[in-house]
Amino acid sequence: MPRSQGTGAASGRHRGDQKRSTHPSRRDILRLGLGGIGLAGAGIVTAMSGGGLAPEIPAGAAGSGHDGHRPQGADGADDAFAMPTVRGEVNHAANGFDPGDLLTDFDGGKVSTLPSGQTLHEYSVVAQEKSIEVVPGIRFPAWTYNGRVPGPSFRVRESDRVRIRFVNATSHPHSMHFHGIHPGNMDGVFDVASGQVPSGGTFTYEFDAEPFGVHLYHCHTSPLAKHIAKGLYGAFIIDPKEGWSRADHELVMVMNGLDIDFDDENEFYAVNTIPFHFNHDRHPIQIKVGELVRIFLINLLEFDPINSFHLHANFFHYYPTGTSRTPTEYTDTIALMQGQRGILEFTYRHPGRYMFHAHKTEFGELGWSGVFDVRAATPN
Amino acid sequence: MARRSLIAVLLAPLLLLAGVIALFALTKGAGLNIQPAAPNEAIQFERTVLRPGVIELHIRNASADAVTISQLNVNDGIWPFTVAPSSEIPRLGSAVLTVEYPWVHGEPYRITLFSSNSIAFSTEIAAAAQTATVSAGTLVSFTLIGIYVGIVPVLLGMAWLPALRRLGRRAMLLLMAATVGLLIYLGIDTITEAIEQAGELGGPLQGFGVAGIGLVGTVFLLDALSRRQMMTQRTDTERRMTLATLIAGGIGLHNLGEGLAIGAAYSVGAAALGAFLVIGFIIQNLTEGLGIVVPLIRERPSLRALAVLGVLAGGPAILGTWIGGLVSAPALSVLFLGIGSGAVLQVAYQIGRNLVWPAAERRQMPITAFAGVVAGMLALYVTGLLVK
Repeated sequence: MPRSQGTGAASGRHRGDQKRSTHPSRRDILRLGLGGIGLAGAGIVTAMSGGGLAPEIPAGAAGSGHDGHRPQGADGADDAFAMPTVRGEVNHAANGFDPGDLLTDFDGGKVSTLPSGQTLHEYSVVAQEKSIEVVPGIRFPAWTYNGRVPGPSFRVRESDRVRIRFVNATSHPHSMHFHGIHPGNMDGVFDVASGQVPSGGTFTYEFDAEPFGVHLYHCHTSPLAKHIAKGLYGAFIIDPKEGWSRADHELVMVMNGLDIDFDDENEFYAVNTIPFHFNHDRHPIQIKVGELVRIFLINLLEFDPINSFHLHANFFHYYPTGTSRTPTEYTDTIALMQGQRGILEFTYRHPGRYMFHAHKTEFGELGWSGVFDVRAATPN
Repeated sequence: MARRSLIAVLLAPLLLLAGVIALFALTKGAGLNIQPAAPNEAIQFERTVLRPGVIELHIRNASADAVTISQLNVNDGIWPFTVAPSSEIPRLGSAVLTVEYPWVHGEPYRITLFSSNSIAFSTEIAAAAQTATVSAGTLVSFTLIGIYVGIVPVLLGMAWLPALRRLGRRAMLLLMAATVGLLIYLGIDTITEAIEQAGELGGPLQGFGVAGIGLVGTVFLLDALSRRQMMTQRTDTERRMTLATLIAGGIGLHNLGEGLAIGAAYSVGAAALGAFLVIGFIIQNLTEGLGIVVPLIRERPSLRALAVLGVLAGGPAILGTWIGGLVSAPALSVLFLGIGSGAVLQVAYQIGRNLVWPAAERRQMPITAFAGVVAGMLALYVTGLLVK
């Protein structure tokens, strides 16, 4: 829970009140003191109710608790209700990535066949320090894999060989720790021999891709929360040998948070890093009635224990970790702890605009929300 | 010619100094080239205005460099907002942020601004209520309150003059000494308040300096005025009248600050708090009237002269409510608190030096003077315990 806090050298200025001088201070109240002389005078003032300036409660406000509501359409043409969002738009080109593109840019790497007949996927990953405009007007000094957050969405087939040449071009040690089944010396945890990479160093991670499902990878250098929250993580998808059923849209959604002032609490939340990006008034995801949508959903949120996904006006089949071809649940809301992930499949019956967001509504109003813009199917 | 050479001699060190500064800048701070690890930003929330469905924040940049406000959070939600004149606020510059937000009457809100450097600044609305708009009607009400708080109690206190003349000497001395104690206590408390508010002003506004200028300036101004009067006036009657005027003027400055606090309370919708302040001020100001007439016990001042003294002491409260209701400037508030504390302390000193200590010495009642001062301070302390 992000307590909105003042941080940084200068911002310890929690302005306590609307206006300090307005509140009765010790001094003011002590003035009541002068021996109770003239209490009669006090009565006069109470009766006059402060010269006609008694607090006015707007008509209809008492009890209703809705006086603050701006009437719909009060400002003329725009009859939309005010909704949380950021002010402005980030410069995606300068960032070098667009959250919308990250939905679908699956990376199979350089594919070849080994003498054994096994398929080999070769990747090159560089850890880079990069300033990213995560929220309009606010830059975040991120640590990235290949200059983007989340990093590349590796996608291979079950039992394929994966070879990743990792270069650490930052000033801190980093690693790549994959969720999957592999030897200990490919786990990226303890030392140089097992894939911890000092500044300027390189390491090649190599293992067979198993089991099939939707997985993740992240830096496993301590302090761990810091290395993940700064942006070192991504999706690792292993397709089953026989493949998934045919889908019209396959989308990667990495749920993450932004601790922009480094106080170990998130100020913003998102899927694919940029808060509110997929909202109705920004870049809603375009789909059509009847199309099968498959979401590879991964929770990489730091600092908050639980994240969630809620789909509006629809239900989805849920495959935890994507390791079974049989869904365990037909629902519209799931909760995921950190590192937990799964596959969602659904089809919309009706055209319209449908939100998807964390059902921890606070996260939703701090950026983790988006919209599917569902259009009528085009007749063939 | 001599004049010209004098100017040259005066200017020479300044020119050399400019050269040294230029050298320092050119060598990037003697080669140290120090850059802060994080920007040192500060924002002062000067005023929060609530209208139906709208929250308006008046802020000032109290940091060394320009600050850009990028995003805004209300109670754990990111909300769009407009900012005038610009989201980039120059040093000491101000801006007004407007958020369309469906706030609920009586509920608390916490608003956090994020600068482009990811620094968060927070303010709280203790209980949301629509901000009173200032109109001709409210100004009339402010004037009425000023009269209630300032003029009426002071005049009522002065009406004790005939009764005072019948008091015994010891009782009279005790009463005067108690007035000194009350004023000292008020002075201490006002200084505390000034320091508290001064600490919340940003660096460039130098809150402690502002409070200090108000306090020291007022003390020496009143002192200078009294000395000038004492020099030109010969008779005891004239001197006593001067002392009474001085006390009335000092109390007037103090009441200006009180009016300011009341007006400000109403202007942010804290009207209930305002009414509470009014009652407190009325009770206190009754004794202020007493303080003014004490030097005049042996005199026969005209009613007109007494009325002038009363208005001098109480009238500024009216002015204070207007300023407090219309203007919102924390630095000004700190200045007035400094002035108010200087005024009451100076008045305490004048009463003590001219009335209490001479009488205590003459009548050999030093313990009575001591007891009076402490009783005055304790009276405020104890009633404070009861009221708070």
